[in-house]
Amino acid sequence: MITIKDLNIAYNSRVKVIDSLSLSLKEDNIHGIVGLNGAGKTTLLNAIFGLKDIDSGVITYKGEKISKRDLAYLVSENFFYSNITGREYLGLFKNKAFSIDLWNELFMLPLDKIVDDYSTGMKKKLALLALLKQDKPIMVLDEPFNGLDLETCRVIRAVLLRLKNKGKTIIITSHIIESLTNLCDQIQLFGKRSHRIQLRRTRVCRI
Amino acid sequence: MIDAFISLRGSQLWREIKEIGFFRILILGGLIGFLFFILFKQTDVFPNVYSVLSIYLLFILLIQLIRQDKLFLKTHFRQYKLICLSEYVILSLPLFVCLIYHAHWLLTLVVFLSLVIIINLNFKFKRRDRNTKIQQFIPDDSFEWKAGLRKYILFILPFWLISLGTSFFIGSVPTAIFILGIIPLFFYEKSEPYQMILAYELSSIRFLWRKISLQLVLFSMICIPLIIAFIFFHVENWYVPIVEYLIFTSVHIYFILTKYAFYKPNSKSASTVIYGSIGGIAILIPFLLPVVWLLSVWFYFKSKNKLNVYLNDYN
Repeated sequence: MITIKDLNIAYNSRVKVIDSLSLSLKEDNIHGIVGLNGAGKTTLLNAIFGLKDIDSGVITYKGEKISKRDLAYLVSENFFYSNITGREYLGLFKNKAFSIDLWNELFMLPLDKIVDDYSTGMKKKLALLALLKQDKPIMVLDEPFNGLDLETCRVIRAVLLRLKNKGKTIIITSHIIESLTNLCDQIQLFGKRSHRIQLRRTRVCRI
Repeated sequence: MIDAFISLRGSQLWREIKEIGFFRILILGGLIGFLFFILFKQTDVFPNVYSVLSIYLLFILLIQLIRQDKLFLKTHFRQYKLICLSEYVILSLPLFVCLIYHAHWLLTLVVFLSLVIIINLNFKFKRRDRNTKIQQFIPDDSFEWKAGLRKYILFILPFWLISLGTSFFIGSVPTAIFILGIIPLFFYEKSEPYQMILAYELSSIRFLWRKISLQLVLFSMICIPLIIAFIFFHVENWYVPIVEYLIFTSVHIYFILTKYAFYKPNSKSASTVIYGSIGGIAILIPFLLPVVWLLSVWFYFKSKNKLNVYLNDYN
């Protein structure tokens, strides 16, 4: 269980982005976080990953402070190092058991070409492959469907559902609720601060 | 519109100055003053003035070829070439001042006309996927070398082979080590995304040592055959390439530590560029080397703290 208790995060010590947020995210589930731009979705993910300092509150996993060792994070922007190939990028991540070529049959990326020449969608797919290679128990994905074609979106959905069945906990954000409704077990709707609604799968399906 | 552009450039400049900080601005000011002094002295002497002009114009040409805001200027301003020209004239003001002071009227005109030509040059270097066997022998962790060799291999390999083949000339190997020692400095200019740092899954201290040791091993693999060849032919001067190699090694370590001391994901920090230039100058003016060594110690601790933001869970 990932537990977030009384989380407060503010920018410039005045503008509160997250105000007294408490959440419990079950393991082996896909959790969606939906909200308008600026609702604090990415800030929450950065706080979970330890990249954003929190003003107060705690984030725990299995009763202990959450650690980067348990997390793999797909950020919304595609940034890579210039002049390296996709294969060289994936080579950085330590998981010898992961078969890059086997997984790449799903994404069909030109892994021996340099990343600078990839399209936006191809870069996103490469970042996803890196996320899969890390094989961490919790996967955090910030707007993973942005910039992807329908077929790739379908493949990613299938992969995420398979990962869930294999015991992974997945947290995924979007500003479009329709992109998450048939994927997530729970969706947290983030509005303006403190306006938060939790939808379970049955209600999600009705929407 | 032009007012908005000037105010935009002003804001960019102010942000850079704020990022650099007061102390570093003083260092930068000193450095610029020193360079201006050299420029002033050299523009008075023939034929040195020609070399100075060539280097200066090459520098402006390089800016024109690699600047990222050309599309923005083209789409927003009808007279974008005039804007570029104005910027290059401002950048060339120190040169103009020196040339006018020494009454080189014709050369002043040549520089201005060269700037007019430069603003009309607008070609891109074609990128090629140079996947050589060499890249496969470089560890995955050393992505800077993989990327760097991909960029410079067509220069490095023939140069290294020619230097080895002509090592019986006393100047050949020291010149080769000098040039091959400068090239890796460019490998550490730009910071990688933080995901690439996290991929190591190492503590900040172990991460830094890994980066430094990889750099030392790869640079040594280039230099050792050259040093052996030099010692074979010029045993009485055995210390020359070794001292050169050690100087470059310490400057490489300094560059790595500077990069992570001012680490900013996916960008080139202004502080890295300024402190890096001190390292670059120390290669030419060795009495600055103790400064580089002292700064290396300071930057080691600074890097450790900076990297802890990302690698704290691996400590």
